[in-house]
Amino acid sequence: MKLELRGITKRFGDLVANNNINLVVEPGQIHCLLGENGAGKSTLMNVLYGLLTPDSGEILINDEPITISDPKDAVAHGIGMVHQHFMLIPVFTAAENVILGSEPVRPWPLLDHRAAKKTVGELSERYGFDVDADAVIEDLPIGAQQRVEILKALSHEAEILVLDEPTAVLTPQETDALIEVLQELKAQGKSIIFISHKLREVLALADVITVIRLGEVVGSTTPAQATTTSLASMMVGRDVNLVVDKAPAKPGEVVLKVDDLFVEDDRGLTTVKGVSLEVRAGEVLAIAGVQGNGQTELIEALTGMRRATSGRVAVGGVDTTKRSVRGILDAGVGHVPEDRQEHGLIPSFSIADNLVLDQIDDPKFAGRFGRKLKAIRENGEHLRTQFDVRSPSVDTPVGSLSGGNQQKVVMARELSRDLKVLICAQPTRGLDVGSIEFMHRQIIENRDRGVAVVVVSSELDEVIALGDRVAVMYDGVIQGIVDPSTSREEFGMMMAGARSEEEMA
Amino acid sequence: MTAVTAQRPRQPSRFMAIISKAREANIVVLSVISLLIAGAFGAVLIILTTPSLLTSWESFFSHPGATIASSAKLVWWAYESLFQGAVVSFHDLSTWIGNPTKANLATVLGPLSSTLTYASPLIVAGLGLSVGFRGSLFDIGGQGQVIAGAGAALIVGFSLHTSPLLQVPLEMVVAMLVGALLAGACGALKAYTGAHEVITTMMSSRIILALLPWFLGLGFIARAGFHDGASKTVNPEGQLPLLLGHISPSLTLNLGFPIAIATVFLVQWFFNRSKTGFRIFMVGQSREAARTAGINIKQVTILTLALAGALLGMAGMLELTGIEQFMSTNFGGSYGIDAIAVALVGRNKPWGVFAAAVFFGMMQQGGQIMEATTGISQSLAIVIQAVVAFCIATPFFVCDIFKLRGGERLAALETSAGWA
Ligand SMILES: Nc1ncnc2c1ncn2[C@@H]1O[C@H](COP(=O)(O)OP(=O)(O)OP(=O)(O)O)[C@@H](O)[C@H]1O
Ligand SMILES: [Mg+2]
Repeated sequence: MKLELRGITKRFGDLVANNNINLVVEPGQIHCLLGENGAGKSTLMNVLYGLLTPDSGEILINDEPITISDPKDAVAHGIGMVHQHFMLIPVFTAAENVILGSEPVRPWPLLDHRAAKKTVGELSERYGFDVDADAVIEDLPIGAQQRVEILKALSHEAEILVLDEPTAVLTPQETDALIEVLQELKAQGKSIIFISHKLREVLALADVITVIRLGEVVGSTTPAQATTTSLASMMVGRDVNLVVDKAPAKPGEVVLKVDDLFVEDDRGLTTVKGVSLEVRAGEVLAIAGVQGNGQTELIEALTGMRRATSGRVAVGGVDTTKRSVRGILDAGVGHVPEDRQEHGLIPSFSIADNLVLDQIDDPKFAGRFGRKLKAIRENGEHLRTQFDVRSPSVDTPVGSLSGGNQQKVVMARELSRDLKVLICAQPTRGLDVGSIEFMHRQIIENRDRGVAVVVVSSELDEVIALGDRVAVMYDGVIQGIVDPSTSREEFGMMMAGARSEEEMA
Repeated sequence: MTAVTAQRPRQPSRFMAIISKAREANIVVLSVISLLIAGAFGAVLIILTTPSLLTSWESFFSHPGATIASSAKLVWWAYESLFQGAVVSFHDLSTWIGNPTKANLATVLGPLSSTLTYASPLIVAGLGLSVGFRGSLFDIGGQGQVIAGAGAALIVGFSLHTSPLLQVPLEMVVAMLVGALLAGACGALKAYTGAHEVITTMMSSRIILALLPWFLGLGFIARAGFHDGASKTVNPEGQLPLLLGHISPSLTLNLGFPIAIATVFLVQWFFNRSKTGFRIFMVGQSREAARTAGINIKQVTILTLALAGALLGMAGMLELTGIEQFMSTNFGGSYGIDAIAVALVGRNKPWGVFAAAVFFGMMQQGGQIMEATTGISQSLAIVIQAVVAFCIATPFFVCDIFKLRGGERLAALETSAGWA
């Protein structure tokens, strides 16, 4: 189906999130949307999906104007959407979530669970997705949740499929699988709108690329005419340095020491199997690996969110293995959690409050009993400017920020603390290229100030860009610690379980 | 890019601007609309339950004007006496202006004094519930804490003969402690075993209610020489002083009211500025994010319920030492339950809770007077109270009917007051 958005304008108070946007998606076309964090991409898609009502403009399908006042209308018009922030019900199973809204019933009002499971099984087989239909969503890692979202959108036999940053939480393998699926859908004549900050992916996939900046379309191009650099500067309005240039690390004392650590996950399976690491002040240890190989549990154990079954963690010589989360934060550990919406932020709280979430007792922000609201606001203003969080004010609830801007809030909070160790999981998930450049520089600055940094990332690019040493994790074990200059092939093999040959000290 | 000329919206007139402002859903608009709905609903009830009016509607088509007029007259009379009974009687007011004696002043102040007397413990109890809601905890068994707190205050109240300056604070402290222990124990059960607070507080309340007759029968509690299940009376030193006693001893307004107002300010500060209040709100809004930020969830859960219990215990003490002065098996009426409605109608905002409690007090007081003067059952006041509570607690319903914008925002407030 041909989709056309005409003159879409959407305001939030004084903020114009979409300003007279025009967009045409032809049948069988993959149309990529690019733009900075907060440019208005998700807003535009939410308008299309009936989650937001535009202030003006119209939507046409096959040149017929249609009205979409809620997602049901959108689905009825053959529009499917994968949201940037999941819209799954945490306590339902994958199968229940996929069928939600179009439940197969056998004699009404009974749900046909068997049919539901079958549908999900068929869908995951058809698209080569590994989804356990019986798994409860909240128990699934975020990447798996994303696959459920995608299956849900596909299950409605959508003719127009919108994917808002679907690959932000996928592993490279999963991304490749998704790209294949999308190519196949395109061959079937479906129209696809695809949003991503990963320029390489966009160039590989797109038929047309439209760039949005500050709520307005700034231009369209095709992969043939564009390069990652040209796209980046089109988005941000300036030249972007896609690789961090950093001085070689000057490692000092060992600050974080992990000894033979074993950790179990929620199901009682040992997912970290004897990990030993040393991270020195002034260096970045990057942990690479396909998601789900124990990185999440390792980080949770380091930050006190999960008790290790055995082994030892020490920060600056002090044993923190059995400490509470608070005790570990107080020992000077900063933590950027993998799942910002669930762990990193409280969406209903203001930006200013979220920027001091783990510093309630800090004398800068509180007296004996009361919070210093003025200091908290000032801190908010300061960090908002420094980290370029795009928002009307520091009182804005974090939940209304664009995905990337939410991530900036989490990063800003942790980087602004006085740290000995910084542990970040997926520090630039969902950030635009300009912000990634900025965030990488901030991390390196912290390193140069003598912070011991651990970065867990499923982006090989990021691991290579940031790491002074790279540990590859596979099946709960560190396969080896190697130099970031190691070849991609070598990394790929290690991430698939091969031991490294040239182990670094 | 295709250039599309956007249609310029017509300049709205000032009148339209005002209408549009009024359509922006906020708590004031919502309250006014809720009152109007409740008023209309009440009017229908009055007509339906008054046989003479009902018969007059049978001949509606022959004299429509008279039918409507007679109905309107009765409805107006009912609401007028409801208001006058709750706040001030215009007749008494003009008498007093003509002849400003102390006795006449006492008559003027009577209704408001009774309303605020009734509201005082309810304000504090409502604040207790809203502390719980702030942390997404539902202390549904507040009644038990009200009674337990009052029981503790009673013992201090009748056994000591000290100065009021000592005895009243002492009563308050023990009442709060007992309420806090009772609710805090439910919090501990939740923190350590996961038992849901709705079950534990409700059951603990049942236990307290069951134990009350036994407690009142205890030798040192029971009124000497009587076997009517009533307790001894709080000594004069332990009673909350009357505020308007110098005008007339029949004006029951007592120190409980200023204490309730002070508590509103305190809870306001606690919610908006205190570290602990912030922690409670964090846990209420997102346990996982709070945990990641280093909050001890167990501790905060216990503390939240303990604070809620302390306020409910205090409400019991205010009821005892400000109004009843002794306990019987039906002590405390339904404060613990009404407090839930008050917290929800007040949307968890301390001054909202205050307003809701005063409104409930008005309906309680005014309803009695209305029944006495017009013969319309005071249940009508309870119905109005319930309809208002219903409308404010379901903003989507009202916003939908009246096409108000921004219902989501009001509803968002609501969910923060919900429980998981
Ligand atoms: N519900 C809302 N209320 C107020 N402002 C909003 C709301 N939703 C979005 N915004 C604002 O609109 C702007 C556009 O946000 P949007 O989510 O569309 O950005 P985006 O292009 O998807 O960014 P990202 O790449 O970070 O996801 C942002 O400045 C955001 O703060
Ligand atoms: Mg977005």
